[in-house]
Amino acid sequence: MTEPLLSVENLKTQFFTEDGTVRAVDGISFDVHEGEIVGLVGESGAGKSVATSSILRLVESPGEVVDGEITFKGETLFGLEEGPDGEPQPSEEMLSEEEMRDDIRGNEIAIIFQDPMESLNPVFTVGGQLREFIELNRDLSTKEAEQEAIDMLREVGIPDPENRYDEYPHQFSGGMRQRVLIAMALACQPDLIIADEPTTALDVTVEGQILELVEELQEKYGTAFIWVTHDMSVVAEICDRVNVMYLGEIIEQADVDDLFYDTKHPYTQALLDSMPRPDETVEELNPIKGVMPEAINPPSGCRFHSRCPEAREVCTRVHPEPRTVAEGAVADADAPTEAAVADAATDDGERPHTVACVKYDAFDVGYDSSEPLETEATGGFSAGLTDTGGEADD
Amino acid sequence: MSLLRYSAWRVTQALPVLVGIIAITFFLANQIPGDPVEIMLGPTPAQEQVEAIQAKYGLDRPAHERFITYLTGVATGDLGTSIYYDRPVLEMIILRLPVTLVLMLSAFAFAIITAIPLGVISAKRRNEPADHVSRIVSLIGVSTPSFWIGLVLIIVFAFHLGWFPARGLVLPWADPADVRGAATRFEVLRQAAHHLFLPMIALGTLQMAQITRIERSSMVDSLQGEYVKLARAYGVPESTIVRKHAFQVAQLPVITIVGLGLSTALGGAVLTETVFEIQGMGRLIITAINNQDYELIMGTTFMFGVAYVVGVIITDIAYAYLDPRVTYGDE
Amino acid sequence: MALGNTDTDDVPAEGADGPDEGAGEVEARVGMRYTLAQVKRDTTARIGIYIVGFITAVALFASIDYYILDYAIAEAILYDPESDPDTVRRLLPPFGMENQFGQGVLEHPLGTDHRGRDIFTRLLYGTRVAMTVGFMATTIGLVGGTLIGAVSGYYGGWIDDVLQRATETVYAIPFLVLVIAFMTAFGRDLRFAMIGVGITAIPVFNRLIRSRVVSIREEDYIEAARAAGVKDRNIILRHIIPNSFAPVLVQATLQVGVSILIVAGLSFLGFGAQPPTPSWGQMLSVSRGYMLPAPTFSVWPGLAILITVVGFNILGDGLQDALDPRINN
Repeated sequence: MTEPLLSVENLKTQFFTEDGTVRAVDGISFDVHEGEIVGLVGESGAGKSVATSSILRLVESPGEVVDGEITFKGETLFGLEEGPDGEPQPSEEMLSEEEMRDDIRGNEIAIIFQDPMESLNPVFTVGGQLREFIELNRDLSTKEAEQEAIDMLREVGIPDPENRYDEYPHQFSGGMRQRVLIAMALACQPDLIIADEPTTALDVTVEGQILELVEELQEKYGTAFIWVTHDMSVVAEICDRVNVMYLGEIIEQADVDDLFYDTKHPYTQALLDSMPRPDETVEELNPIKGVMPEAINPPSGCRFHSRCPEAREVCTRVHPEPRTVAEGAVADADAPTEAAVADAATDDGERPHTVACVKYDAFDVGYDSSEPLETEATGGFSAGLTDTGGEADD
Repeated sequence: MSLLRYSAWRVTQALPVLVGIIAITFFLANQIPGDPVEIMLGPTPAQEQVEAIQAKYGLDRPAHERFITYLTGVATGDLGTSIYYDRPVLEMIILRLPVTLVLMLSAFAFAIITAIPLGVISAKRRNEPADHVSRIVSLIGVSTPSFWIGLVLIIVFAFHLGWFPARGLVLPWADPADVRGAATRFEVLRQAAHHLFLPMIALGTLQMAQITRIERSSMVDSLQGEYVKLARAYGVPESTIVRKHAFQVAQLPVITIVGLGLSTALGGAVLTETVFEIQGMGRLIITAINNQDYELIMGTTFMFGVAYVVGVIITDIAYAYLDPRVTYGDE
Repeated sequence: MALGNTDTDDVPAEGADGPDEGAGEVEARVGMRYTLAQVKRDTTARIGIYIVGFITAVALFASIDYYILDYAIAEAILYDPESDPDTVRRLLPPFGMENQFGQGVLEHPLGTDHRGRDIFTRLLYGTRVAMTVGFMATTIGLVGGTLIGAVSGYYGGWIDDVLQRATETVYAIPFLVLVIAFMTAFGRDLRFAMIGVGITAIPVFNRLIRSRVVSIREEDYIEAARAAGVKDRNIILRHIIPNSFAPVLVQATLQVGVSILIVAGLSFLGFGAQPPTPSWGQMLSVSRGYMLPAPTFSVWPGLAILITVVGFNILGDGLQDALDPRINN
């Protein structure tokens, strides 16, 4: 497999607040390859948006990227090295703020924000804003940029773009504004677009239209996407590969089909159970129990254990790092138990399906012999555990 | 609706308010104790003299009749006659209004020119020393009586240092022949600026402080706007973001506060004119009151109302011009 | 906005309105105790509490001494703030300074006025007028504005139209001019200064209450009260007004400062407290005649006003920060 377009290694972003340090993103790693749509999924507060701002180095005070390495097309967007005093300092290869601004933001990595109503400046015309960003990020004259803006508006399905060019954002509907933002991102011809919950604020029919548009344009332009969402059905519709985040960590990472048909992490399973699926008939939807704990004081061990239907005593003690686990090691005891691959990235052939859950043998921390735990999800019964029963014996 | 039609609509909308102002001033003027005739003629006038005066000023007729007469008078540009000056009220106002307008305009110019940079810097460097200084300055500014600032300025800059004159005003368009010590237009202008400086600061400080406060909070909001995040994400330099993207949105509340500040500033003009002995509208109304000059009191109060209404209309139109979301009132 | 800027009402950028902006979000945090706890955490707001508390204490003391004891305390430990002293030492400079009238003495730390009265004593006793006027005018504006705003916002329709046009018209006359005209008509003394300044404060509270009432009116619990047959008057009194407590408190605090400033201006022009009653504005008015020989005479009353109004302003700002978490420093 070729070099990834974007590679994020062990990224940590923290917010230093009065009440303490919030570890909003706590050591996540993932890759984005050319032309693919990579999902970043999780409930609100999981750290998805912070992760994407970190990539562009746009985390605002009191937040700060404190560790990790981000490389994009061979350039180091963020990297640390040990300074003379032993303290980590920005590495030599790391791009300066000016280089980030002039060479990366917009022209290499563009972003589409969640709220189309607020993202456009209310006192400038839609066309003017488009033109400004195009001019800034591509070598075009004002005239050419204007033409490009109009063409792009047409491309994203805005009728009568010549006239709408001179209108103000408040004259556009929410869906139309989101189309404008998509046009803005594409018009800068980046290699990667970060879409931060771009359809969350829209109603379902408009959401469908926008997703269709993105798929169509993505095929045409071949741009890679990071698609941030909390909605598994959106993931199913457009993503190639998915990263599931919980409390600042990626707890499962897989190609989209594997994620849906070979779900490994109980949290992912819970997310899937909470959404309607066209491919499966379920009696009733099963929302995730409880609320996500605050990132300022995450639970010990596995962060999901407080809401996990399969939690056992060991889960409160052992913090699992994502790794590949043997095929069907849990679900099916008869399946041949392959030797668990301890390390994730094997860059040849299939991309790995990694998961951070100690119930898999690969972790070997004594899950099976551990006492079941009463959690919010088990509701005082250990019924949830027996359902999945039949774990492989050692 | 075009901006022009919006302006026209806005003006007609203000007409009932103007009638209301006349009604209030008329009502108040009629409550004034004491007899203007007595003031004119002394304590023991002859009966026929009294009647003649009463007839001349229409004082013998019932109040509602006089109100209608007054209203029609105002509509035709006749604000009555000043008993004290024995001249038409309108003439006195035309004489004094420019003085007050020059004072007001310079005060607002001073306020806006100093407040906007202060507020923007304050917002951009939030909780840094520059912000603290700017916030303390504006806090003191909104808490200080303008006439006291005037007194202190006179003591320090006129009496002690002798840099500026302590009293009076020279209109920039005055005839050089009428201005003492000025032979040329340039010298008139220089004197005008010289005289204007202290009153301008005295009157403008409160406005400056208020605009700084609103500019700061408005810029703070604006700088946190999603559109600013978007601009950053598209590589727009921070200076452009502050100057253009965040700034323009942030000016809308500032315009509103400037409009509201007109009321305070017009009141403040009365005090400032008193402190600096400037013969403007403020002194005119005080003179009118001290001499129980009915029609002059009504006329000047009305003009103050008109000045405020016109100011608010101008700020409204400015708002409509700058904010594309204003629907120009047609629904 | 004074003149029915109704066409811009849908614009969210109405930050200019001060404390009533964002009023909708503070519902959950309006508890008195919560507010006070928040204010106490803020150093600047604490300074505001100290200043306001100190001035209020002095004013109470001065009022007791004036109304009940006829300046007995003042004469015993300081000087009579009103009558001319027997040994006239006019226009003395503050202690440690010198002017053409003599050397400053410790007995008169801030000097004496044009009739030889102790400036320090008069400043202290001037708090009575300032605070009385500030609180009374604010109360008048608060009560009047709340009534008009609540009725106007709750009933809507023509009642709303009439009341709002009327308050707009009052607001359209620059308020110092309006109060001067009002006092000319009814009387130049302090009572009418309070009433006049109170009237000019009515539109401020009216606007605040009305906008809150309009937004609260549609809330579920008001609907429920109405459906349960609670009378309109009771809905307004029991539900809507208590619910607007937070922004009104902020505005009232700021308004006390504003009223003190306006009344000082009025006294300066000769409307308001009449001599020999000690009042800051009137002291400044007199001091104008002695700016050249005794410049410090003009300084003290102004500083007293400044400090008092600063106190109310930072207390008001602190309250607002505590009540509106959105604008945290």
